[in-house]
Amino acid sequence: MSGGGNDFDDRVLGRATGVDAPPPPPSAELLRAVESTKPVRTRTRFGAAAVVALVGLVGPAIVLVHGPLRRDLAGLPAAWLIAAVALWGSAFALSLASAMIPRRGDVLPAPSRASMVAMAAMVVVALFALLVTVDVPGQSMLPAERGWTLFESCVHCIGTVAKVAVVILIAGLIALRRLVPVGGSRVGMALGAAGGALGGLLLVFICPFASTAHVVLGHVVGMVLAAIAGALLMFRK
Amino acid sequence: MIAAGTILLDRPCVPVARPGAPLVVRRAPFYQEGVKLMAIEPEAREAAEAMAHYCRGDAKAFHKLYGLLAARILAYLTGLLGDKAAAEDALQLTFLKVHEARSTYVLGANPIPWIYTIAHRTALDEIRKRKRSRVRVAKEAELPAEPAAHITGVAADQHADPAGRSDDTADPSAAAGALAALAQLPENQRQALILTKVHGRSIADAALITGSTPGAIKQRAHRAYVTLRQLLGRKEVA
Repeated sequence: MSGGGNDFDDRVLGRATGVDAPPPPPSAELLRAVESTKPVRTRTRFGAAAVVALVGLVGPAIVLVHGPLRRDLAGLPAAWLIAAVALWGSAFALSLASAMIPRRGDVLPAPSRASMVAMAAMVVVALFALLVTVDVPGQSMLPAERGWTLFESCVHCIGTVAKVAVVILIAGLIALRRLVPVGGSRVGMALGAAGGALGGLLLVFICPFASTAHVVLGHVVGMVLAAIAGALLMFRK
Repeated sequence: MIAAGTILLDRPCVPVARPGAPLVVRRAPFYQEGVKLMAIEPEAREAAEAMAHYCRGDAKAFHKLYGLLAARILAYLTGLLGDKAAAEDALQLTFLKVHEARSTYVLGANPIPWIYTIAHRTALDEIRKRKRSRVRVAKEAELPAEPAAHITGVAADQHADPAGRSDDTADPSAAAGALAALAQLPENQRQALILTKVHGRSIADAALITGSTPGAIKQRAHRAYVTLRQLLGRKEVA
């Protein structure tokens, strides 16, 4: 539906910006570059994301194989364990996919979708940690709800999340170099959230502390900090 | 008033403001919002094919791609930079960046929003550079203001339309006024308006090109349109 006034304005705007003007020919520098062009191997939609995921999974896999698992693992309800793994795992996979996989028909990942998915992932795991954290009486370790013990336990887990997230962030930054001309901080946030979620997934199996305060402040905040770090790393004015 | 999120051109790939032809916009059903129309359009397919050949090392395909897209990219850059000479430099730089980044292209994808995004980044860098250099000049001395120039590069008061069109769109002062009004808009509103109204990109494409969200693009385009109407001394048409 277009009124005459709209047409007028749009035509004037178009004329002002020169949409009907012929472009200049390619410059000598551009022509030189083009004439020496060689076949290049192009990117695939899923390739970079798959590589980053594999690189990121190596560390947690080694920890799970060699490291000590939480002592209350066998006593945890199977349904809770499955739900926790599914949630943290989905948060990792979806955040990584939104940061690195363009939509069908697109070349670039969509920054708005990446930030939306990352935010949603953080909210969902935060709610899960707040509402559905369980412990096994007699087996789980429960740090005090406040104070130095809680702080120390949280710092330890944030450190673990950071170690896992930094691998994803570095691999992702390398894979995305020169690829995200705009909206880098949104994509970086999703990448960081993916790394943080992978760290959170690892902690489901190895963290001995089972209090709600610890899981929220240690695991979820770790993921949030990783997302912030990713956003800052890829921020470009 | 046309809702920004529902504007689609009848032929979205064709530059909106063709000489002598009125812009045709229609209200698309809401379920079409975000649909990747470009992927099925012949021009997008043509651009994708040219890009694929170019990535395989065919230099002629670059010229085809340049011929397809250079005019509209130049217009977009002119709208953002408000200066044709700078826009022409930015156009060359944009295609140089496309050449350098061709290995990041995904075969079969629509290269048009991607190239717009690269142009957008190039324009942003140019704007930042100008802001920095403006500060330096101001420290040196007060310089006299340059006379206003028309988009063609001729001084505004000397410019005459070669086509001799008599309607108000052919009035060079109207075009110069529109460009001046565009320059007064906040940067992000100007980007949203030019992409959606002048270039007919979908809201989703405009969000991708500017690295913003579709909601923000709708809001900015609407605000820009209202402001522009006020600046051009027109009342908003309901």
